Amino acid sequence: MNLAPVDYLILSLYFAFVLGIGWIVKRKVSTSSDFLTSGRSVPVWITSLAFIAANLGAQEVIGMCASGAKYGIMTAHFYWIGAVPAMLFVGVFMMPFYYGSRARSVPEYLKLRFDEKTRALNACTFAIMTLFSSGISMYALGLLFELVLGWSFTNSVLLSAAIVLIYTYLGGLTSAIYNEVLQFFLIVLGFAPLAIMATSKAGGWQGMSTRLPQVMTHSWKYIGDSSQNPMGVEIFGLAAGLGFVLSFGYWCTDFLVIQRAMAANSMSAARRTPLIAAFPKMIMPFVVIVPGIAALALSQSNVGYSLPLKASGGPDYDQALTTLMAQFYPSGMLGLGLTALMASFMSGMAGNVTAFNTVFTYDLYQSYIRPKAPDAHYLWVGRITTLVGVALSIGTAYLATRFNNIMDFLQLIFGFVNAPLFGTFLLGMFWKRTTGHGAFWGLLAGTTAAACTHGLTVAEGKGGWIATLHTFPSTMAQNFWIAIFAWSTCMLVTTAISLLTRPKPVSELTNLVYGYTDIPHDHMHEKVWYLKPVTLALIVIVCLIALNVIFY
Amino acid sequence: MGDLRTSIGLFFSLMGVILLITGIIQPGARAALTQVNINLYSGASMLVFGSIMLWLSRRSS
Repeated sequence: MNLAPVDYLILSLYFAFVLGIGWIVKRKVSTSSDFLTSGRSVPVWITSLAFIAANLGAQEVIGMCASGAKYGIMTAHFYWIGAVPAMLFVGVFMMPFYYGSRARSVPEYLKLRFDEKTRALNACTFAIMTLFSSGISMYALGLLFELVLGWSFTNSVLLSAAIVLIYTYLGGLTSAIYNEVLQFFLIVLGFAPLAIMATSKAGGWQGMSTRLPQVMTHSWKYIGDSSQNPMGVEIFGLAAGLGFVLSFGYWCTDFLVIQRAMAANSMSAARRTPLIAAFPKMIMPFVVIVPGIAALALSQSNVGYSLPLKASGGPDYDQALTTLMAQFYPSGMLGLGLTALMASFMSGMAGNVTAFNTVFTYDLYQSYIRPKAPDAHYLWVGRITTLVGVALSIGTAYLATRFNNIMDFLQLIFGFVNAPLFGTFLLGMFWKRTTGHGAFWGLLAGTTAAACTHGLTVAEGKGGWIATLHTFPSTMAQNFWIAIFAWSTCMLVTTAISLLTRPKPVSELTNLVYGYTDIPHDHMHEKVWYLKPVTLALIVIVCLIALNVIFY
Repeated sequence: MGDLRTSIGLFFSLMGVILLITGIIQPGARAALTQVNINLYSGASMLVFGSIMLWLSRRSS
């Protein structure tokens, strides 16, 4: 792929705007809370778009297109089943506790609700995970640009890291959020023309459904039996594992996304953030997954396009997006498409960095290293942490080039740590009897259960390091079931230990637990329908059902 | 550029103009698999989107 001067012009203008936004936002930053939590002052349309953009990293965009080519429209379950219901739940039911508790982070909520050790456990694992995911996505981008454009790995990693560092260092969370909104529009406007052109070249949706096997264009029809669909999953594993445990665990407890909603300027705006975000989230499959399906259809018809092959022989689905761009975009749009890829990478990385510096500064530094310092000191620590966080991510990216297996192993461990989280939050928010000891040991037991499930089952040669009790048809099915066992164990152990330990006095549960929190009632506070969270959630549900019926 | 809508509006108007000019002076520039002058159409839509954003930010200030 060769770039023309106009492509470089577009890319450099984008960098100039991103840095410019950081420079302008800098004037608004005078306290640590401005820098780390945006001072709870961001309008709702901005927090909503940032809410999904922070999750829309380059790996997500490329990976979803690859899955579209590999699994077909079933991939949309990661959005329709695996994200939207959880986003509705966090907006309608959980945000009153996050926002109302005045906690500045998710680990801090755990401290207020439970105790110090539960917070420390969550803060430490979260901080390490954000650094590694930021480094791994940087690694992925470096490899991609090396492959597609022939840029050196070091140059693209350092250039993009430097730009993310400058704008997050200057403007903190506000700057990251503002840029995420710009990145969101760029991703949509940069990839939507590709989706439209590739689909129409493949004969439209109609043409693709006749040309491809039925299973590629139906999201539900072949889900009853795991042997009939390419994902190798069956309906219970999908609905309970992905649709409930994994998606609620991510969208309802991961500080990376919750932080965006908590930056909103009112309780009502915080609740509406994930609900408004659900609308573009439902539509995203058409921008990122459908091009992958079109790529598969095109490679099966004689138009001169084929998916590139891996060294090992099979098709390299990860290159579906970039090869489509090369085949459909001339200079100009090509530059814009690559800028959109760069943007998706930067929004994912900035999201991790801003979540990391908040958790480190407030939950680790202020709590355990140096409490009761003047606020200016924490602002300074927040900025230094940003710098250190970016440097450590770069280190992780290089570690990944050397020891690829370590990265796979770490991602596996993170999966074990995350799987039980939603159980802890569910019990903590809705059952006042839950205790700190219960939460802490429940989390550890859930993680252990996840590891044991992995050790006792085998899928595609993975797992089974203790014994083989069961074989799954795919690692995806295995992951869903690991999550189900981890969550159930966490629920049982947390409940049992809570009943055996002394509960927190009711006076300390105000604004933290259902029944002791003033939940704003829509009909009293908001006059217009589109400002009412429950009304918005119902509209989302209707659209969601319609989409699933159309693509049944 | 104080308002985010102004920044986004400026950015996409600029992108729109660049793509429109590219589409007009190089109407024959096509990628391998398509006959569409995508620079022209995308440029026009981005200019419209950018202008709407600029109009929204002017209206509120």
